[in-house]
Amino acid sequence: AVLWKRAAPLGPMPNEDVDVKNLEVLERYRSFTRYLRQAERESRKPRWWNTYHRHTNPPAEPQTDIGLPREQLSRAKEIKERKRILRENHQNAEMERAARLRTVLIPLDEVRAEWEKTSGPFHKQRVAKHCGVFRDLFKGATFTPWVALRVHYSQEDEHLVPVYYGNMVTPSEASSPPEVSYEADKGSLWTLLLTNPDGHLRDADSEYLHWLVTNIPGSDIKAGKEMCHYLPPFPAMGTGYHRFIFLLFKQHGPIDFSQDARPMPCYSLKMRTFNTFDFYRKHKDAMTPAGLAFFQCQWDSSVTSTFHQLLNMREPVFEFVRPPPYHPPQVKFPRHQPLRYLDRYRDTEEPTYGIY
Amino acid sequence: GLRLASTTARLKTEAEVDTSENEVVAPNFTNRNPRNLEQMALARKERGWKTTWPKREFWHRLRLERTQHYVEAFVERSNGDVVVSASTREWAIKRHLYSPKGVAACKNLGRVMAQRCLEAGINFVNFKAIIPWERHCDSIQEFEKAMQEGGVVLREPRRIYR
Repeated sequence: AVLWKRAAPLGPMPNEDVDVKNLEVLERYRSFTRYLRQAERESRKPRWWNTYHRHTNPPAEPQTDIGLPREQLSRAKEIKERKRILRENHQNAEMERAARLRTVLIPLDEVRAEWEKTSGPFHKQRVAKHCGVFRDLFKGATFTPWVALRVHYSQEDEHLVPVYYGNMVTPSEASSPPEVSYEADKGSLWTLLLTNPDGHLRDADSEYLHWLVTNIPGSDIKAGKEMCHYLPPFPAMGTGYHRFIFLLFKQHGPIDFSQDARPMPCYSLKMRTFNTFDFYRKHKDAMTPAGLAFFQCQWDSSVTSTFHQLLNMREPVFEFVRPPPYHPPQVKFPRHQPLRYLDRYRDTEEPTYGIY
Repeated sequence: GLRLASTTARLKTEAEVDTSENEVVAPNFTNRNPRNLEQMALARKERGWKTTWPKREFWHRLRLERTQHYVEAFVERSNGDVVVSASTREWAIKRHLYSPKGVAACKNLGRVMAQRCLEAGINFVNFKAIIPWERHCDSIQEFEKAMQEGGVVLREPRRIYR
């Protein structure tokens, strides 16, 4: 009934700007690559008609920024410096020979260090958004982690397991508290928090608090007040991968966290139940999120010992249950359907009769 | 005597009360992690789009764009969201290269991209979105080799149906 009524289109029709009378004047593609790049660019543009992309992706809400404001350094000096370095590179004959003979190998550590300063925070924010960190912890409010948080779990054989944004770490590697380091001015106070938004065994909306250290002077974690001691990760068997998120908050002054203090040691899951949104809203005026690091964790044999010894409970084991297959509403006279059409809507289980 | 007994009894009950409620577990568990299903190979891949190219049957796709001036690499999801990206336009990479385009740039971009993918936890990527006759180009071959040496597998595991 909607398509019977003719009306003007709600926007420009595609290819409206192409002049069909004068086709020889148009620029040709001359290569498939150029056409493919143009096609990909056009498919990503937003359209006024309803598209599959609009149907599957919900419209993005305006994001509130709760992080630290960006420090604007003098841009002109930076650009001048960069141009100078590029000019030196171009005049360097060795670099030119290495590029020509394809033997150039960039120092990856230096690239990573520079990246952490320039575009690292934006990339980390993007990955965190896709892992659902902001959606689950802060209900949609985002922040850019300007402070580079370096977290390492050290093993017995002097091996270091780093935690980046979305790494895979096993619970046996994460059994002892990690070494955390970040750049901090003297006299500034920080708060470090480790949560697990996925592992809650009773309520799906709350998280488990694994570690809370407050009023850290500078970057010395040992000098901070440990409100909740470190509990190793315990993702239950069968539940898949859990995110464990390290949050670093910058405090504007010393804050009293006595309400969030947990008894030492605390092995009660009820006491460990935590909500980052409420916690942040309570101390919103005194601290801002500045650093972020998270890892993915799966079940491991050390999780069994954590459940039995530390938490003093039987280990829960879960199994993946697939959602039931979708069948359209049943029709009295189905067209071109085999005899097993009736089996799809039956409540009881009938044995299959082969291909019928 | 009496006092000691009461304190020890209270300590014991405190520890027991502390962990006695741990046993209560809800029968249904929901994991909110959006990456969980794809890491367990149980998530759906978009299986339609068979009459067009490139297909969208992947969880993460590696796309290499070579322009006249720069080389860029993106790892994106089937709905188009970019997860990890690296380009020779970034100052961190540009300052070490003589030219931001070409085979050497592609090779180094591959190394940097492999490192960033592993840091983000993306170990399997679909690399089918290259034009067949361009796959034999020196630059794209070097990029692919650099990604594989960096530790990223350029083949996504098959989804588990049963």
